[in-house]
Amino acid sequence: MTLGVTAGLIAGAIPGFTIAMAVVLTLPFTFGMTATEGLSTMIGVLVGGLSGGLMAGMLTGIPGTPSSVATTFDGFPMARKGQPGLALGIGVWSSFFGGITGAVVLVTLAPQLARVGLEFGPWDYFALVMFALTITSSLSGKALLKGIIAGTLGLLVAAIGEDEVNGVARFTFGNDAIRQGFAFLPVLVGLFAFSQLLSDVQDRAKASKPLMPKGAKAVRVEHRRAIVEVLRLWVVVLRSSLIGVFTGILPGAGSSVSNILAYDQAKKASKNPDEFGTGIPDGIVAPESSNNATEGGALIMMMALGIPGDIITAVMLGALLIHDVVPSPSFISEEPVLAYSIFIAFFFAHFIMVAMQALCLRIFVLITRVPMYILASVILIYCAIGVFALHNVGFDLWTLFLFGILGYVMRNLGFPLAPMILGVVLGDIAELNLNRAWSISNDLSLFFTRPWSAFFLTLAAFSTVFPLYQRDRGSKNWTQFYFPIFVFAIAIPVMFMGGTVRPVIGSCLIVLGAYLMWRRFQQRTPRRVSAE
Amino acid sequence: MNGRRLRLSEAEESSVSRFHLDTLVAIFLLLFCGIFLTASFSIRETSYASLGAEVWPRLILIFLTLLSFGYLVQSVRHHGRPEGAVPERRGLRQWFLRHLNAFWCFLWFGLFLLSLPHLGMLAGGVVFVYATLTSLGRRDWYGHLVHAAIAVMSVGTMWAIFTYGLKVFLPAGTVFFF
Repeated sequence: MTLGVTAGLIAGAIPGFTIAMAVVLTLPFTFGMTATEGLSTMIGVLVGGLSGGLMAGMLTGIPGTPSSVATTFDGFPMARKGQPGLALGIGVWSSFFGGITGAVVLVTLAPQLARVGLEFGPWDYFALVMFALTITSSLSGKALLKGIIAGTLGLLVAAIGEDEVNGVARFTFGNDAIRQGFAFLPVLVGLFAFSQLLSDVQDRAKASKPLMPKGAKAVRVEHRRAIVEVLRLWVVVLRSSLIGVFTGILPGAGSSVSNILAYDQAKKASKNPDEFGTGIPDGIVAPESSNNATEGGALIMMMALGIPGDIITAVMLGALLIHDVVPSPSFISEEPVLAYSIFIAFFFAHFIMVAMQALCLRIFVLITRVPMYILASVILIYCAIGVFALHNVGFDLWTLFLFGILGYVMRNLGFPLAPMILGVVLGDIAELNLNRAWSISNDLSLFFTRPWSAFFLTLAAFSTVFPLYQRDRGSKNWTQFYFPIFVFAIAIPVMFMGGTVRPVIGSCLIVLGAYLMWRRFQQRTPRRVSAE
Repeated sequence: MNGRRLRLSEAEESSVSRFHLDTLVAIFLLLFCGIFLTASFSIRETSYASLGAEVWPRLILIFLTLLSFGYLVQSVRHHGRPEGAVPERRGLRQWFLRHLNAFWCFLWFGLFLLSLPHLGMLAGGVVFVYATLTSLGRRDWYGHLVHAAIAVMSVGTMWAIFTYGLKVFLPAGTVFFF
């Protein structure tokens, strides 16, 4: 795990290397390990990567990963003001406290959510997968249609080869190698890592220069002052961590969203919002505590329901499948050792991260002197070796190549890759549950009449419209009613979920929806009167 | 317009080229769906299955066809060309140069895969890394020297880790036997 954290810290610090890529590249090393060891290593990389991004952002102004973009807003100015050690310290300790908060919520919430998940039937699972795909598509970029097309393509890729239920070959086009379908790892490495590396070296001049022309200098992290500053801002830490956790729970919305959201909220809640961007501790604490907490939320979804919260947990889900462990609501009760190992690994990785930060800072400074094309070439061959190590089959290397080309083309055409990867991961789960649902009853209305299924399909429908809502908000009238109608729509299935608490929550939502609707009409009436 | 034909700004030009590209991609997707839908009728039907193996992929394909059609309509509707404007010609050479590094990587990786049964992972890997580094980076004698050293050290280290550390069998070639 220590090696994992170190690798994550370095990978996270290098601009152009995402955390997902670091986790993907770690996967081949875990084949020889037990599931517990493998998952712990990957969690180490994940936590290290989340915290590594801040090093580059603060010392050079270029964020190492998308999850540390907002950290740069105040981290870099603080470092330029002559306090790089304090800036790094605040970043490290905010990450630590955010991660620990995420771990506490993970341990508390995951078993509870898993208990709710046990109520799910195949209809509900199928609807949940659809929701995960639609929300990932709608959050992954401006092009919603391209996002949904990418997600659907992912489902199709998962459908190629023998189907899991009947063992019938599909779309093999006479090629026996395709009968087994495309293995998950080569597809993932090809789509994500291979294509990312090629995009990184696309600019010929940039690729042959050192990663950071200005260079970064290793500095001494001021731990004591930083801890005092972070503890003084405990409200910001807590609020940002909770924003992070709940962003993580939402499928598709990862730390790249939460760090900006937390920064924005911290600015809005601050008494001195004008000081944000000038190098104040609040501006570092908010994004750094939220991005580490986000993965706690994403792990909750993966462990409790078997649905990845983001691309990184999608890779982890793939790692679990490689080790013949299928995450589901019964995962925590059936695999307690593995489940609690994940909890503990996530918790301890944060301590290791703090300890390794100083060492990694020195290694990071050395790596910044290496040109991108050298790193890319070496990693490309590493991808090939790692992919081959999975099944010792040459066909996997051709799969890697094919999906590498596809990923590169899709990136250049503006298709988001996250929905496609999620589609590949969730394709089998969706089909299996559709099959189970159909075997129990061929009544399709059950997808709309079962409360949980109706709940997820409602969320899926509203998440599909969400990008349009964002685009038209403030300029078109219908957007005023988006949120009240959404509240009404989700209240109905919640009302029918049974028990005592849920109908009460459903009733409260209806009251809230009615109030919001009334407010919207109130806001509209004076405008109309003044117009008359 | 005073008889002169408008030249497009950079953004407009990009919009126009995207118009062509999106339309082409949408048409390609429709063709792709057509081929796969046709292939879905060759999937063996079983008597024992409650839901046939062909149902799920066919559902996906029908949905993908609808989306692709929507994408085609969107590409035609939203990226109209300003009236009278002539698109700046974006040469094939410019496009080729833009993706040259990626093409080098694809070429060397493809050759690496083809030569794998003969050269093996170690020698093939060293040749691949050296060739890629030289294609993407400097090509003077110093560059060749550095690239060769990097290729031997990086691939050798990884090969040793996987072969001896992780006990993974990596393919040996017919030429070098390792």
